[in-house]
Amino acid sequence: MKKRLAIIGNGMATGRLLDELSRRNAGLTYDITVYGEEPHGCYNRILLGRVLTGSDTSEITLKPQDWYTKNDVTFHAGVRVDAVNTIARTLLTSDGETHNYDGVVFATGSAPFVPRIEGIRSADGKVKPGVFVFRTVEDCTSIRKYARPAATAVVIGGGLLGLEAAKSLCDLGLHVTVLHNTDTLMNAQLDKLGGEMLRRAIEKMGIYVRTGVITSEVLGDAHVEGVKLQSGELIPADLVVISCGIVPRTEVAKAANIPVKRAILVNDRMSTAVPGVYAVGECAEHDGKVYGLVEPIWEQCEVLADVLTGSNPRSRYLGSKVYARLKVVGVEVASMGITDAERDTDEVIQVIEDRKRIYRKLIVRDGKLAGAMLVGSAEAAPVLIQLFDRGEQLPPNRLDVLASPGGGVATSDDLEICNCHHVSEDTLVEAIRGGACNLPDLSSCTKAGTGCGSCRGLLTSLILKHVPAVRNGVHH
Amino acid sequence: MATLALPLTLAHQTEYALRTHCPYCAYQCGILLGEGDGQPERVMGDPHFPVNNGQLCIKGWTCHTLLRHPQRVTTPLVRDKPSQPFQTASWDYALDLIADKLTKIRAESGADANGVFGSGALTNEKAYLLGKFARIALNTAQIDYNGRYCMSSAAAGQNRAFGIDRGMPFPVEDIEYAEVVFLSGSNAADTLPPIMQWFDRQKQNGGRLIVSDPRRTATARSADLFLQLTPGTDLALSNGMLAVAIEEGLIDTAFIAERTNGFEALRQIALQYHPAYVERLTGIPEAQLRTATRWLATAKSAMILSGRGAEQHSKGADTVNSLINLALALGKVGKPHSGFGTLTGQGNGQGGREHGQKADQLPGYRLIEVDAHREAVAKVWGVDPKSLPRKGRSAFELLDSIGPKGIRSLLVMGSNIVVASPDMDRIETRLRSLDFLAVFDAFENETTAHANVVLPVYQWAEEDGTMTNLEGRVIRRRVAAKAPRGVRSDIDILRELATRMGVGDKFQFHSSRDVFEEFRRATAGGLADYSGITYERIDAENGVFWPCPSEDHPGTKRLFAERFYHADGKAKFLAVTHRPAGETPDADYPIYFTTGRYREHYNSGAQTRLVSRLTAAKPSAKLQIHPRLARRFNINSGSIVVVESRRGKAEFIAELSADIRPDVLFAPFHWGGKQAANKLTNAALDPTSRMPEFKFAAVRIIAVRSDV
Repeated sequence: MKKRLAIIGNGMATGRLLDELSRRNAGLTYDITVYGEEPHGCYNRILLGRVLTGSDTSEITLKPQDWYTKNDVTFHAGVRVDAVNTIARTLLTSDGETHNYDGVVFATGSAPFVPRIEGIRSADGKVKPGVFVFRTVEDCTSIRKYARPAATAVVIGGGLLGLEAAKSLCDLGLHVTVLHNTDTLMNAQLDKLGGEMLRRAIEKMGIYVRTGVITSEVLGDAHVEGVKLQSGELIPADLVVISCGIVPRTEVAKAANIPVKRAILVNDRMSTAVPGVYAVGECAEHDGKVYGLVEPIWEQCEVLADVLTGSNPRSRYLGSKVYARLKVVGVEVASMGITDAERDTDEVIQVIEDRKRIYRKLIVRDGKLAGAMLVGSAEAAPVLIQLFDRGEQLPPNRLDVLASPGGGVATSDDLEICNCHHVSEDTLVEAIRGGACNLPDLSSCTKAGTGCGSCRGLLTSLILKHVPAVRNGVHH
Repeated sequence: MATLALPLTLAHQTEYALRTHCPYCAYQCGILLGEGDGQPERVMGDPHFPVNNGQLCIKGWTCHTLLRHPQRVTTPLVRDKPSQPFQTASWDYALDLIADKLTKIRAESGADANGVFGSGALTNEKAYLLGKFARIALNTAQIDYNGRYCMSSAAAGQNRAFGIDRGMPFPVEDIEYAEVVFLSGSNAADTLPPIMQWFDRQKQNGGRLIVSDPRRTATARSADLFLQLTPGTDLALSNGMLAVAIEEGLIDTAFIAERTNGFEALRQIALQYHPAYVERLTGIPEAQLRTATRWLATAKSAMILSGRGAEQHSKGADTVNSLINLALALGKVGKPHSGFGTLTGQGNGQGGREHGQKADQLPGYRLIEVDAHREAVAKVWGVDPKSLPRKGRSAFELLDSIGPKGIRSLLVMGSNIVVASPDMDRIETRLRSLDFLAVFDAFENETTAHANVVLPVYQWAEEDGTMTNLEGRVIRRRVAAKAPRGVRSDIDILRELATRMGVGDKFQFHSSRDVFEEFRRATAGGLADYSGITYERIDAENGVFWPCPSEDHPGTKRLFAERFYHADGKAKFLAVTHRPAGETPDADYPIYFTTGRYREHYNSGAQTRLVSRLTAAKPSAKLQIHPRLARRFNINSGSIVVVESRRGKAEFIAELSADIRPDVLFAPFHWGGKQAANKLTNAALDPTSRMPEFKFAAVRIIAVRSDV
């Protein structure tokens, strides 16, 4: 008989896990059930900004409802798991049902972190109209309904997501102010200078940025009218979007006595200390790290699928290298690894192009890239991330790795113009100066252009460029 | 373009009276041979053949020197064991010997102990005949050919997407008016040089060219946008472009709805290829990814053309589908000057993959495992369909199954398998365990070194027959030179062998025209239907494009304008995903290695290494290495570098160049011996096409000598 595998949560981790499982023919060994709190099939949360600016949910859907049916996965849509009994191996769901399982995966993801700010809720205890978080399709559609051009918005939080939300609101025609509680934007991924360069780029887009400010209160009775800063300053606003990071959703796991620190503790096999219980994604803590980006989560899903299906029992998750890109059109930001030197021996290379608003920084440890950030131009990002991923030794001149891709070092060789007969530019220029001033002459004395003929255009331009000036019919 | 009278120093055209085609690549330039002393001694491009329009590459310019070459084999060579020197022998002796050996081995070990290995260099007639010979003279299932190493991924991909595989579903002239062309993993400027005239014209019309390659090749240099990608990530790149197209609303939803199936499943996959993920895999910056996508999507006409760089991977077929997916999603297929195509490699790489020398195939692109197809062909051959063998092993698997319990004898026609196969040391070990190897070739080479018998055969200009070029245009090889005495045609040899094996009545062909007439009937009703093509029509029409089902049918210059070849007439999207190569660089073998071709040499070099002008220009395989990587190993230009993979090691002279990615080494595969690139390559096979992973190996540098 098949075993029953329950997956709690239906976010991107689950979507990927289902793909990895089906790739390993898990359907032969498991009856898979997915419990998703949101009413839709799994969607690509990274693309939520598009829903905010008007795209239909279907455009970012990874697995529509019928996918689950077609792939023999039971999908309980709009059903939350409220409790897990790891001894009886049962789940209690929000619709009052109890379900049996043989193995359970926590893929509960995370919830927006909402700091303690007064006035977020109205007197009736409900969230005040005009206050939003930026996490689900519902959040985005509600923001969209509420946001009208020329309205004013405050985004609390200047991290990756907050800036993305700010840009989307700005694109919708709103007056947007970003309030950030530390001194520089994206302080988790950028150093101070990087954050400052980013701020200038964001402001150039028409978004106001206030850093080092703490929001103490949301103003308004029936709906949002503004925010009050700790300094006492008031900022009028029609809507407030809170984007202050995320907290792993671990309440059900905790209640089931599954070890939890910041998130649910897993080992290299993505399993918890409780037999039959696994965790993956933003709700999982591995080796002291909780990952909030999609690629580490994909890597975790691969390992978990290997483990669950037995297709590669030795598969181990050994942690991920984190690479963040800001998804805001018009400003390129990339960040990987550490953001500041941590040891005396760490080398730091900074390239600051103030007028171009480009900032590039490398942190080198033991000859290898330990961290890098790019603001304003991410052209070097692919080269850096590959060096970082592979732990490759950097060239002695560290700046070489910042060269434009595919063309950093000039070739010293004389350029070959006619590839068929291997005639170089120097030879041709010499022949032209020596009097071969038209194509047939040049070709007959150098053979260039008599092979495939594809260089004849180049030959003509070389003649035009190098033919000796003619004065009174005499070559000089 | 201002055209120049060609050639500059050559004499008048009437001295070049003999019209045929170049022996080498799939571009099949029309050439004119000029006689001197009754023998071709000059060559020029045929100005009236509308594919090359008089242009030739340096290989074409020198091809006539192969005909009367001092190293030409002109009498059968035989020996008991490959360790002995060859003895000359009479034709009867050699043919009797082969027939006896094959008969004996079949009696002892069964029909499948005799293997046959064909070639994409053979004419359609010979490819057809070789397939027939294997199936009804030897009754063996074990026939495959070197095109498996070349076109199988493109073929598999196109068949899955379109229900048909004609390399380019449009003529090369369409390139001229394509607003944007994306060349994925092709170095056409070196591998098909005269095709560049169409790209030049395209550029003059304001068109733009995108090239993806780990190396800045001659082709990449002419590109408007060059994507220098990490080896083995072509699929991630095209999926990433599709993701951008979806994100930016650039896909053609009307085309997708009307003419395709399967987009929804693909879309769900594609959404995961966001630019940050793609640039991490491919090394292509997001900005370039977006630019490339926008160019392709917003152009009125756009083409995507793939080469071996994208196809010769253990995910080659899926990569081809990812490129086709992109072309389809952008609505750029079946429209003027638009579509997906593959730039076929070998001279008859197209025809060679259609007519039954492939393990799973019968003539007319029929499949040997489909009963109706078996019946149709058996009827033409006058045999019981049940007597036809089933599907055999793919090229590498066939060679890898050589041994006392597997393949004991091998007939090789027109292929230098030692140099051309991946994991060369392993293949050579296998060949050494053969009981019997017979090779049909004009020259001795690395493969004949293992042979018991070498049969000297006609070369290209000495024989008649048809070839199908990279466009699907069926053209004629014509007799333009007399073969040396003592040399015979492959058609004669197969007839003589069949007679000795008791089935002579099925092989009564005395000319290629005889074969062609039966071949036409055998293709009738198949996907690759040649039944309406005649030698006369080819002459009159500068070639005829298949399918051409009747003599009054004009041929099919362009496919897909109205329908695709699946039963419902629609094209299929395949939800393909990136996966790692057969091996990935690690701490032990940290560097990528890839292979390719020089302009001066052709494939295994069996022909071009005999042409002095070509070897003078490129005498050996150079290891292309980025100065940054070279510095780490104290390598200078000219250093001798020993490179090792898990399978073998090879020795090259280093050539420093900033045109290659700093994490990749490149060497061409035209040579055998110490400098054989294929000693390093990995035989990880594509699960669908069985293509070996020629373009991706993990290697390390184990020694550097500074002296030359």
